Amino acid sequence: MVNYRYYQHKHKPKKQRRKLSYSPKASKIPKEPRVNPIVAFFKELGECLSNGSLFIKLSTVFMGLGHIYNCQFIKGLLVFGVQALYIVYMIFGAAPNLAKFSTLGTVKREAIFDPITMQNTVNDYDNSFTILLGSVCALFITFLFFLFWASNIKSMYETQKLIESRKHVNTFREDFKEILGNKFHVTLLTFPVIGVILMNIIPILILVAVAFTNYDQNHLPPSELFTWVGFRNFVKLFTQTTTSSFGYAFRKILEWTFLWAFFATVSNFILGHLIALLINSKLIKIKRFWRTLFIVTIAVPQFVTLLLVRNFFADSGLFNSICSNIGLTAFLQNIGLVSKNISYIPFLTSPGWAKFMIVLINIWVGIPYQILISTGILLNIPRDQIEAAMIDRASPYQIFKNVTMPYVMFVEGPTLVTDFVRNINNFNIIYLLTQDVYVTTDQALANSHGKEVDLLVTWLFRLTNEYYDYKMASVIGVIVFSICSVFTILSFSRIVAGEREEVFM
Amino acid sequence: MKKRFLSIALVSIMVTAAISGCGNPEVANDTPVTEAPSSDNSGGEAADNNAAADAVQNLINATTDPVDLTVWASEEDQEFTQGVLEDFKALYPDVTFNITLGAESESTAKDTVLSDVEAAADVYTFAHDQINDLVNAGALQEVQATYTYDVATANVETSVEAASVGGKLYAYPMTADNGYFMFYDSSVIKDPSNLEAMIEDAKAAGKKIAIQFNNGWYLYSFFKAVGLEATLNDDGKTNTCTWNEAGGTDVCQAILDAVATGAVVNMDDGTTVTGIKDGTVCAAVNGIWNAQVAADAWGENYQAAKLPTMHIGDKDCQLSSYSGFKLVGVNPHTKNMGWSMLLAEYLTSEEVQTERFEARNLGPSNINAAASDAVKNDKAISALAAQAPYSTPQVIGGNYWSPAETLGQILASGNPDNTDLQKLLDTAVEGINAPVSE
Repeated sequence: MVNYRYYQHKHKPKKQRRKLSYSPKASKIPKEPRVNPIVAFFKELGECLSNGSLFIKLSTVFMGLGHIYNCQFIKGLLVFGVQALYIVYMIFGAAPNLAKFSTLGTVKREAIFDPITMQNTVNDYDNSFTILLGSVCALFITFLFFLFWASNIKSMYETQKLIESRKHVNTFREDFKEILGNKFHVTLLTFPVIGVILMNIIPILILVAVAFTNYDQNHLPPSELFTWVGFRNFVKLFTQTTTSSFGYAFRKILEWTFLWAFFATVSNFILGHLIALLINSKLIKIKRFWRTLFIVTIAVPQFVTLLLVRNFFADSGLFNSICSNIGLTAFLQNIGLVSKNISYIPFLTSPGWAKFMIVLINIWVGIPYQILISTGILLNIPRDQIEAAMIDRASPYQIFKNVTMPYVMFVEGPTLVTDFVRNINNFNIIYLLTQDVYVTTDQALANSHGKEVDLLVTWLFRLTNEYYDYKMASVIGVIVFSICSVFTILSFSRIVAGEREEVFM
Repeated sequence: MKKRFLSIALVSIMVTAAISGCGNPEVANDTPVTEAPSSDNSGGEAADNNAAADAVQNLINATTDPVDLTVWASEEDQEFTQGVLEDFKALYPDVTFNITLGAESESTAKDTVLSDVEAAADVYTFAHDQINDLVNAGALQEVQATYTYDVATANVETSVEAASVGGKLYAYPMTADNGYFMFYDSSVIKDPSNLEAMIEDAKAAGKKIAIQFNNGWYLYSFFKAVGLEATLNDDGKTNTCTWNEAGGTDVCQAILDAVATGAVVNMDDGTTVTGIKDGTVCAAVNGIWNAQVAADAWGENYQAAKLPTMHIGDKDCQLSSYSGFKLVGVNPHTKNMGWSMLLAEYLTSEEVQTERFEARNLGPSNINAAASDAVKNDKAISALAAQAPYSTPQVIGGNYWSPAETLGQILASGNPDNTDLQKLLDTAVEGINAPVSE
């Protein structure tokens, strides 16, 4: 089970390692002053345009011209083709939408029913959502087209320089071969990039745009129009007025979201790791059996488990009858953890209990993953380091503290961050355990359709799915997105410091 | 460098191709099938039988292509509806129909329809409380003319009211049994007329009375009992709730007192069913959908009645209720408006309503169908009829539910924080009456 790989830094003295791993400042290499990539991009573009030939300058309008001047006819025609496609798309596809982009449509749908022909006559109405979608797509395509345009000019300039210095210029056939050969990775990457654009970037852009509109139940296209409202929705989310408790609900739910993400991540990490350590210990027999036992939990679809668990812990569920039979309910009532007015333990129906149970149940469904990860890491801990420590007569605790943990933290750091972010968006656990069961007793929260146990993401789901409040849901979506990005970027730049790798490898 | 940008260019071309479809302006998809030959009595009223028959005949003549229709009905009604659809096809032998039947519960129809109105079914069934949202979202075709029977006069008046918004008829009433009443085990409950006597009986037998307080739908009955209102305003969006006016705190106190006896318990549908089956529940305020469970469990002792009276303040008040109807609606975005309307009419006709009662035991809204002896002898349906004078069709905006649910939850759990009752009501009313953001 032990990995006998040979590690280069086997004999590296401990002191040096500590220094390297714990004082990042010491290991920082002075870098060249960073140039803003956007500035660099335009600088390069300007250089191409000022130094380029007349044809390159003309290519800013007729895009293929420079290529044709450089005798790259096929390439020139292809580029012309792309430009033509873009122009056709802009005129026939995008222009009607872009023209209405500032208002998102003004003509409401009106249908007149003719009882004799039994048909509706419908006016030529505007669909705000289609306009928004079409415009965002058009703007995005325009952006891509601009990149293409700029790269085209740069590529012409490169060719011009090659010709001037009498070097070989790739023919179209050679270019094409290169795409399938040397630069095959670029070709391969094309499809994932298309996927990311269609599945991630466009929807995110739409989400952001909707956050600035009044798209809600009263403005549902195609029958109604919605329009821009500026920052009003954001203001609404952060303020509490007599008629709107969104500000209050947002604060409460944000607090619990962070609390939950912290507890869920830390509890899973610690407990999962401890169990992995335990199973890994020499004292435990039939390790494979224990590991399999925990892994089996993963094999059962999570929602089945969670819905069953929800029923077990219902007010009149299995656990409550057991608890009242063995007298636990009465005991908890005596020590004041359960109100005397009720004859059951409100596992999932009172705020405190529900939060506790959610974290507990999350441990149960979550640690198998942690055990898997931790086992993998533990099996890969450089054996020689532990042996060296043992020769130095380090106690098991010292080994754990100074060898195992630093190594685990080094490998696990990024996972912890992703776990934290994932838990901020952990929809399944919260929604499946509390939907239709948990009724809030906080009236201010109820007035904003929130609950104490809601995460931002489940609140968002309820607003969209039950109240069609797309505008507020988008605002929350934007906020969740920003929180998660900030956490990811911050943590990755601090934890995943590349220079630490050689410490262990 | 060059090749990378070429690949980006490739991407941009493909994206253009993929997206150009959605860039087109919306074309009205309610294209007329074919211009029907103008009928002779062009000035005639559509309600006039001849004109209606002519219109249908014209529609048949004008229909040359197969008619594609999608119908949504609840999961339990699939088999029955499929049979009805076959009968409908048989009525018009000259027309080819491709009718697709989908399963969509009446209680969640709104959610599915509103998520994409244009992709929703041409004809769908829904619970009448969703009608306002559906009309606001333009998901229901106004019933401006009827062709095979007169919807407004053939159905019970309350059901027509429930199918109308702002005086305009928007749907076809299908059943009139979607409200709630009380069913009880007559071996335990001797006097179902007042809640206090019921509590005594239940206590004596050590059993529970199940009422779902933490649901605005049921909570309404207590406040309405003393004349406090919760209704939708004329704008079709905001509510007027008067629960915090005089008498409101008495209602809260009465509920608190009832819950404090331990015999009246807040139970949701699932718990109620479990309770009936395991014998802990001896009476429940619930709907026809759970009555069968009780009938099976209690056998001969199963009885149904109107809601009891309750001692509120210093007098006995008859508990009110929401009456409920299931309606059939036509999607204004359908491509076959004429056929959709005819199908909706057929699904709600007297004949089909009678069949529906026989096959599925659902109470008809059609006056003639409801007058039959079989319907009158049904315990649950006659209990609903007895409750009818004290019930109002549920018409309320979306902001009602969460605050009412929370108010009910607080009362059902005995007001654990001992909040001032007036303050509880004020906060709830504030949420219920909150303006719907523009």
